[in-house]
Amino acid sequence: MNALKPLHVVPGACQLTCARFSPDGSIVAAGAVDGGVQRWKLENKKLEPLKPLTGHQGWLSSLAFHPKEPWLFTADSWGRLRCQTFTEEAPPVIWENAAAHDGWLRQLALSPDGTQIATCGRDQFVRLWTVQGKPVAEYKHDDDVFLVTFSPDGKAILFGDQHGHISQWDFAAKKITRTFDVTSMYKMDRMQDLCGLRVLTFSRDGKLFLVAGCTPNNGATTQSVPTCLAFDFATGKLKHTFTYGTPKDGAIEDAIVHPNGYVLAATSGNPGTGRVIRFKAEEKTAFDDTISLANCQAVTLHPDGQHFVVVSTSSGSGNGRPKTADGSYPTNVCPVNLYFLPEEAKSVEKGPNLDAVIDAKVPK
Amino acid sequence: MSNPLCTPQDHLVSRRRFLGLGAGAMAAGAFGGLLSAKAGEELKKKEKQVLFVWLDGGMSQLESWDPKPNTKFGGPFRTIPTNVTGVHLSELMPRLAKQMDKLCVVRSVSTQDNAHSSGIERIQRGDPKTRGVPYPYFGSAVAKLLGPCESKLPPYVWIKPGSGGFRPEDGGFLGPKYGSLAFGDGLPPDDLLRNPALTEEEDAERNELRAKLNERFVARRPTNYTEANSHVFDTARELMKRADIFDQSKVSAKDQERYGKHDLGKHMLCARRMLESGVRFVKVTSYGWDTHGDNFNAHASLMPKFDQSFSSILEDLSATGQLDHTLVIAMSEFGRTPQVNGHAGRDHWPEAWSIAMAGCGIQKGAVVGATNETGTYVKDAGYDIGALFHTWFSALGIDSIKTEYDNKGQPLPIAHEDMKAIKEALA
Repeated sequence: MNALKPLHVVPGACQLTCARFSPDGSIVAAGAVDGGVQRWKLENKKLEPLKPLTGHQGWLSSLAFHPKEPWLFTADSWGRLRCQTFTEEAPPVIWENAAAHDGWLRQLALSPDGTQIATCGRDQFVRLWTVQGKPVAEYKHDDDVFLVTFSPDGKAILFGDQHGHISQWDFAAKKITRTFDVTSMYKMDRMQDLCGLRVLTFSRDGKLFLVAGCTPNNGATTQSVPTCLAFDFATGKLKHTFTYGTPKDGAIEDAIVHPNGYVLAATSGNPGTGRVIRFKAEEKTAFDDTISLANCQAVTLHPDGQHFVVVSTSSGSGNGRPKTADGSYPTNVCPVNLYFLPEEAKSVEKGPNLDAVIDAKVPK
Repeated sequence: MSNPLCTPQDHLVSRRRFLGLGAGAMAAGAFGGLLSAKAGEELKKKEKQVLFVWLDGGMSQLESWDPKPNTKFGGPFRTIPTNVTGVHLSELMPRLAKQMDKLCVVRSVSTQDNAHSSGIERIQRGDPKTRGVPYPYFGSAVAKLLGPCESKLPPYVWIKPGSGGFRPEDGGFLGPKYGSLAFGDGLPPDDLLRNPALTEEEDAERNELRAKLNERFVARRPTNYTEANSHVFDTARELMKRADIFDQSKVSAKDQERYGKHDLGKHMLCARRMLESGVRFVKVTSYGWDTHGDNFNAHASLMPKFDQSFSSILEDLSATGQLDHTLVIAMSEFGRTPQVNGHAGRDHWPEAWSIAMAGCGIQKGAVVGATNETGTYVKDAGYDIGALFHTWFSALGIDSIKTEYDNKGQPLPIAHEDMKAIKEALA
């Protein structure tokens, strides 16, 4: 299989942490380490920059689009949770909570029906909010909570902690109903906790619960093996274990389940290495690992199932010491790479046609 | 048939191995002396002590002592106020923030080496001008200049994860006698106690015999060699008398909880007991700070452990009044790059980093020096490790300008002669 060539690469202005397509596929939003939200309009098969959104502090750590309303939810490492529109040049903030968490709000997730938001943080809390920003319920865990997602029926929240424990919280009943053991994705190296959790998601039919990230090997110049565990969600039993490469290949930093059932994932390995891989959770090897990009941070799939965007890191970003030729001290940046999967043209059953939306005007 | 039970002789060998990898290893011995023996005697009376906390690999100054929140290299963390008005630390140090009034943070340390292998040596030896001889580590220097405390316990002890042993090379040109005695995992050497099969009288007889053999030994060999040899035995015997230092049952559960049950907590607690028992210089090493990858989650994991254990020992030394005569230092071989690499890590950055100090002779509640807005470089000239050595010696009451080593007749400065103590850091 030949490596796909990107349709378009945006050089990048700063380092990015996460990225998502809007539900209609017209906008890509990415969180940045300067607290901003970078935006691009998908137009003529190119990513055209829009004015970044500001107002967050620390790192923009997580974002999600509402499935129906023109709302973008964003969270930062200082604990702020915000809802705003996203298409205008200066979109208004609909609501925000500057202290949704005490410190690093690590991830947010929207319920399948779009009525609720789940958040988790380093403050060991998992919280449930309405999409209008009203607190609904909270759970105090005893560990740093890295990941959060809703169950497919929207009745429970699953969250993963630093030590590789995933809990299912029935927020209506106010209790933890079961746990999943992913401690194989945790290691104590010397005195450092190495957490391998990066992504919680479900297969399209909701039957498999996927935990992606890495099996940690050591800290310092971190070494870990990209890993995805697939649990039978009905029984809670581990059904499949997928690993990729060697400890130099790092972690699956982001992953999304394609409508055709496979996982599209981005890895970040040793400095300067990283890949886009496609694999089926039930298989042992990736069926495509031809795209090589330095230290991928995020991947997001267009609703047409054919276009996707990968956030990588500039080549030569392996060492923060070197200065530029003029003697100044540079800032690392994340290029944004737009790809197209031609073989998916007839196979994707659902989702709008990209051609129908890429030329659509972004509403003011 | 081999005897499954060890004999007293085995134990003696174990101690010897522990202390010196055999006396032969101690023979390199060129023991320097102070030019003024009288000055040295005066210094010894003061019972000054040192706690030297070494965060091996390089703690990030931006996630600790010199945060730059909301700047392009600032990272995800917030800052928190301290109990010194206007001074903020990383939010990863909540307990130390409450003890800032005891601390002096130098935020403009700027050193010369960005490699671990050479950097550790240069930093811990004070990076003096090249003299053709290796300078002693700071612990060895203090052991030489101040000697053992009245307790007669080893003057330079190193508590570290992993294995223990004697590290004679720390002593540099001062000789192996001034090397560090390492307690791996804070544990005593195997067979520290006299084997019960050996009575006190028998032990005394054995030592009498050793003394006689030593006399013959001395007669045929240079003094340096025999002095090192005797040092091994003397140190072992002093340690045997103080096995209580290692008795875990004497550590309260509350203290174990306060310091933390991780390596650094256990070792810091062990350091407190060493200092209380009268060890002159205690070095505590924590490994794993070389966060080239995933720096921020790494510091989110590591810093609370440092915060917990370091603040606990400061609290305790202060409560007992021991901090008044104990110099406390926490540092690494360098800081970490402001730029975040593609691996979400920070790399080696000696250009601009921070250290913290407290205790005897040190200004309280002070911040000395500064970096620029983004933390990339120091403002003004910055302070190299030589200036810090001058500062530490001065804090211990040692005149770092007038005091010299005597390297077989060659006078050598105890700290870089082109540098001087940081006045603002001294009380």
